[in-house]
Amino acid sequence: MSERILLAIAAALAAAVLGLALFWQPELPERPLPAPAALSGGDFTLLAANGPFSLHDLRGKVVLLYFGYTYCPDICPTSLAATAEGLKQLTPAEQAKVAMVFISVDPERDTPARLKEYAEFFHPAMLGVTGTPESLAEIARRYGVFYARQPVATAGGDYVVDHSADTYVVDAAGKLVGKIAHATPPDQVVLAIRKYLNQP
Amino acid sequence: MKKLSFLTACLMFSAGVLAAAADQISVDKPYVRLLPPGAQTTGAFMVIRNSADKDVKLVKADNPASRVTELHTHLNEGGVMKMRPVAAIEIKAKGEALLQPGGLHIMLIDLKAPLKEGDIVPITLGFDDGSSKKVDAKVLKAAPEAGMSHHQH
Repeated sequence: MSERILLAIAAALAAAVLGLALFWQPELPERPLPAPAALSGGDFTLLAANGPFSLHDLRGKVVLLYFGYTYCPDICPTSLAATAEGLKQLTPAEQAKVAMVFISVDPERDTPARLKEYAEFFHPAMLGVTGTPESLAEIARRYGVFYARQPVATAGGDYVVDHSADTYVVDAAGKLVGKIAHATPPDQVVLAIRKYLNQP
Repeated sequence: MKKLSFLTACLMFSAGVLAAAADQISVDKPYVRLLPPGAQTTGAFMVIRNSADKDVKLVKADNPASRVTELHTHLNEGGVMKMRPVAAIEIKAKGEALLQPGGLHIMLIDLKAPLKEGDIVPITLGFDDGSSKKVDAKVLKAAPEAGMSHHQH
């Protein structure tokens, strides 16, 4: 008799467990979502040595954007030299479909004329542009670029500029599609460019 | 005679003990990066090896081509590169310090005249025991081909 009661209790418990498993839906803890991918990229107009430059002037080409400053003795030259070398390794037909733009986030020191000289040192087709602090900040926000002027206790100049060191890739339709990490060797840059060139 | 050889031995012994840090240091592939005309600052890179049994610190550098010479490093924080001066660069006993683009480097600030490819910049490295060593760094557009890549960590 008591065995039966035990069995009944066991069955009831089993049913309860099964029921819980099937129907109980605990409230999931609030999970922080990854930062919304609100990097809209998009068009912008800045100033080159020969006048205003707009990103849409390069529609139809894959555009590599690099944000830096010419007083940067190491990081910018490393990135720009690797990218320039990658560009040179493309076939002439591919080169015709790729452009490279160096955007200075240090307009106080970098004039368009100086930027032209600087960019062309790395690659004759590299364009150097800058703009007002406000327009640069607005573009940086859309592209997910970080830069900040830092008063550093260095005897040279009053400040350095911390900055994102990746190269931003804009496709032929003007859409921000990816990044090439800082210090990517030229042969990898070539592969990355081809990946975007060959996208439908 | 015996006294003399004893004295000689003493001298040799002390020379071994008192060897300056600079004597135990060798420098490989020193170069200065060529930057566009008009650039005010550039970096010098090299591999510094220490054959001694104790650590050595590079505490300063000097050169005649720029008005200021500093030791710098880069910190990569989430893709953002931050360049900062450092007080010293340690070269471990029987080890090496790698001064390369994107990391530790000697910064030549406020160049007195534009550098040209192939120029030689004599750089004097100063160590923590007061000794120093001069290296001739060639101005190059790109890093020397051999020797740098396989030292990467």
